[in-house]
Amino acid sequence: MAVAGRRKHSSKLPVLFVAPALLLLALFTFAPAIYAFYLSLMKSHVSGGLLGTSTEQVFAGASNYANTFSDPQFWSSLERMLLVAVIGIPVTVFLATLFALCLDANGARLTTVSRLALFLPYAVPGVIASLLWGFLYLPATSPIGGGVIDYFGNRTIFFTVANVAVWGVIGFNTVVLYTALRALPPDICRAAEVDGASELQIALRIKLPQIAPAISMISLFSLINALQLFNEPTALKPLTNAITSTWVPLMRVYSDSFVNNDIYGGAASAFTLLVMTVAVTVAGGAAATRLTRRQSS
Amino acid sequence: MRSSLARHGTVAAGILAAATVALAGCSSSSSSSGASSSSAGSNQVVHLTITDWDNGMPAVVSAWNKSHPDIQVQLIKPTGTGYTLYNKLITDNRAGTNPDISEIEYQALPEMIANKVVIPLNQYLPSLSSTYPQAALDLVQFQGSTYGVPQNICPMVFFYRTDVFKKLGLQPPTTWAQYASDAAKIHKANPKEYLGNFDAADPEWFAGLAQQAGANWWTASGNTWTVAINDAATQKVANYWQGLVNGGVISPEPSWSTQWMTDMNKGNLVGWISAQWAPNQFPTIAPSTSGQWTAAALPAWTAGDKTVGTWGGEAEVVTTSSKHPKQAAEFVQWMNSSQQGLNLLIKNVDVFPAATFAQSSPELQTPPPFMSGQAGYNSLMASIATGVRNFQIWGPDASVTFSSYSDAFASALQNHSSFLGALSTVQSTTLNDMKHAGFQVTG
Repeated sequence: MAVAGRRKHSSKLPVLFVAPALLLLALFTFAPAIYAFYLSLMKSHVSGGLLGTSTEQVFAGASNYANTFSDPQFWSSLERMLLVAVIGIPVTVFLATLFALCLDANGARLTTVSRLALFLPYAVPGVIASLLWGFLYLPATSPIGGGVIDYFGNRTIFFTVANVAVWGVIGFNTVVLYTALRALPPDICRAAEVDGASELQIALRIKLPQIAPAISMISLFSLINALQLFNEPTALKPLTNAITSTWVPLMRVYSDSFVNNDIYGGAASAFTLLVMTVAVTVAGGAAATRLTRRQSS
Repeated sequence: MRSSLARHGTVAAGILAAATVALAGCSSSSSSSGASSSSAGSNQVVHLTITDWDNGMPAVVSAWNKSHPDIQVQLIKPTGTGYTLYNKLITDNRAGTNPDISEIEYQALPEMIANKVVIPLNQYLPSLSSTYPQAALDLVQFQGSTYGVPQNICPMVFFYRTDVFKKLGLQPPTTWAQYASDAAKIHKANPKEYLGNFDAADPEWFAGLAQQAGANWWTASGNTWTVAINDAATQKVANYWQGLVNGGVISPEPSWSTQWMTDMNKGNLVGWISAQWAPNQFPTIAPSTSGQWTAAALPAWTAGDKTVGTWGGEAEVVTTSSKHPKQAAEFVQWMNSSQQGLNLLIKNVDVFPAATFAQSSPELQTPPPFMSGQAGYNSLMASIATGVRNFQIWGPDASVTFSSYSDAFASALQNHSSFLGALSTVQSTTLNDMKHAGFQVTG
């Protein structure tokens, strides 16, 4: 009786628990995406009069997408975003791993204070962090040599933007890896110590391979974040001539929709970016899974 | 087992209920922050909302509220100014949640009309032709309809640091050639100082300079547009400034950034090509230099020419979302064309009125607080205003033009490339956008 009753209950209850999340996902993620796709196939057409006394929404087919793909600025913005990603992601992953391993080392002191200090930048909202870093970069207010080093030069701007983004997320990634390290069984490390391995050897040969799944996860998250780069360049834009309003793809989506009043073009750019992000996520996830499987086999 | 399952079920239901209440709370608060003009109750008080970013507006609105108990107006300070606000108005117009009245700068009005954000006011207003000069009316009247009431004129004005000019024995430049040589002298005397900056962040600034040179970026005949942003007059202006920037005597930094405000405050920038409203903004930009600036007429292309362009200036409009257009029009008319309304604007917002009769108000005898060292500030404005020249008409997609200007000229400054190239980018972007939207364009 208990087994049959349990099976009947368990077939309904999981659905019930997941339903609210699925509902929210459908309402606030899928439905807007479908509506955005619908908008991207439309355009606004003015007819009649000097100032367009009648404006209507007409079917535009793929012309918005054609405009996006044929615009050299779109490809430049993709390039710039990838450049910031290429600088930012390896630095994030490397520093997060380094800090986590240091925090977990045997002789580590002041670990609680260090963890807090590392995590604090993550608690600062992205826009505020960008503004503060802007003050640190501008020659007029910079305590870090802004009068000598041009932080807003054509080459240096990528490092500038990447720096702000990396500074914000290092703490979060460090905590993730530190937690993974803490979850490792201590026996292997103790055995290695008994065998005479140094801290460095334990870190590199024993701990690092075991947290490889966590490292690949934070790499994937960093990649997804990098594709959505928006806060840092937008907040820094008023401070410099180096950042245009379409510097990265997401800025272009914002600029199309809310500055140029072309919500249809913006929807096309947004949907293109969505497809690219999903593709990268799927590819990245598959690569991570393959890495983990190879690791554990 | 069954009892703990029931408890789980209750907990889940409780969480769902709490979430629903929270969501309902969020949605009701956002709808009440929109237009509240539908709340005319049985006591027949009409409630209107106005959005306006100028400092000092609360005094104007509360004076109206005291004398008009049957029409109460609430001031909403917008989260953004200029195009941030205009695009919000266009978006919210689709939802019908715009405030009843808004301030709209003259250059944005055609775009607002094209997006059906504002309504014609002919049926609610008396004839404005006795109150305003034709030049002001041309900015709000299109094809027989009046879409707003002009508030002010903002001719471009040259501000300079009195002490720096005195120290170097310089007179304020009356021609652009003299401006160029003054800029060189100032920068040579102190390499940290500049007479001004080329502003890639303010397209209307550059448009005003083009107006002075005789440009017409847009012209309309019948229902057809002609776009000529890179016409000869504008190219002349672009080349002039390119020479100054390339020569290193004018700073390339964008206005309104922290860097620029610090430079203005510290005296690294000793001149500003601005407009009549500058004293209203100076306290935010360079508070410790109060009283140290003098205003003068903008340099001219030929000596003695009084032609000058405008930067800014606005009309008040009634939006399509308004449920009480008659009362809203009444407020707009009081604020911008009555003696009482204009006196309040002059006193609290440092406005220079477009209405002819108000340009000799006694309120204008005192200068704005920031220009305390120049008692004749407003009479200077009155004499400069006689030479104002505008474009024939502003385009229906001026926001695209302005956004393209900022990008193109910022790149040109950053990469030391040609301003003429940037100008033709702006021209082609504007033209393509108008064609894409379906406007009739020649060329």
